[in-house]
Amino acid sequence: MSKNTLPYPSPLTTHVLNIGDGVPATRMALSLHRLDSNLLIWNMLSVRTTNEDGRCPGLIGRHMFTPGMYKLRFETGSYWESLGQTSFYPYVEVVFSISDPEERFHVPLLLSRFSYSTYRGS
Amino acid sequence: MSACRLQQLKGHILPENKVSITAMADSTSPLTTHVLNTAMGVPGSNMALSLHRQDLCTNAWSLINTGTTNDDGRCPGIISKHLFTAGVYKMRFETAQYWESLGEACFYPYVEIVFTIDDPSLKYHVPLLLSNFSYTTYRGS
Repeated sequence: MSKNTLPYPSPLTTHVLNIGDGVPATRMALSLHRLDSNLLIWNMLSVRTTNEDGRCPGLIGRHMFTPGMYKLRFETGSYWESLGQTSFYPYVEVVFSISDPEERFHVPLLLSRFSYSTYRGS
Repeated sequence: MSACRLQQLKGHILPENKVSITAMADSTSPLTTHVLNTAMGVPGSNMALSLHRQDLCTNAWSLINTGTTNDDGRCPGIISKHLFTAGVYKMRFETAQYWESLGEACFYPYVEIVFTIDDPSLKYHVPLLLSNFSYTTYRGS
């Protein structure tokens, strides 16, 4: 099932903003991983690219979104390279805990070449 | 012998900089950090952290040093000048453990900041501004 035909919006969303240039970070590769708590290894759940608005619809299906530790990895180094620029961070990984998958979680990334911020949004 | 192989052998012989932070207390550490608890408006004190470097050949991470932030949220002497070579580093902050010690929950079990050091002759400041549900870092001076 393609992400465009998911009946429900993804319970987990992200939004990447290039605050150095004041634009959405478009065409940035990112991946979502969940920690296998028994094997202590990361399982990759999806690989995506941000759209023109810096967003990634359909990141995960509701049935896949179980409690646990997740990681969103943003290929920020490649992104800046595609703009012909260097960056202090080769990539950004944000690791977060989901205890109640019934809630909606928004994990944005505000990014410049030499800084970044993230927060739990809605 | 290749540069990669030399580095591997060096890694077996030298235990990196595995001394306690208090023994180092090197105010001229080329890499510094500062943890700030922005939710409470105080330094992030007594937070465990560790510094790692990525092996150029194998991409494996090796531990350089561990430490705990002081009352001011700082960790002097995290790495000495002679060990501070060009490469990819990772600073890991035990954030959930920190908030737990304050009796609170945190969205982030830990924070890892991965950064590239191109010119080790410069000074680098990698602070962490942290609340229960957000964090910020930047390259400072």
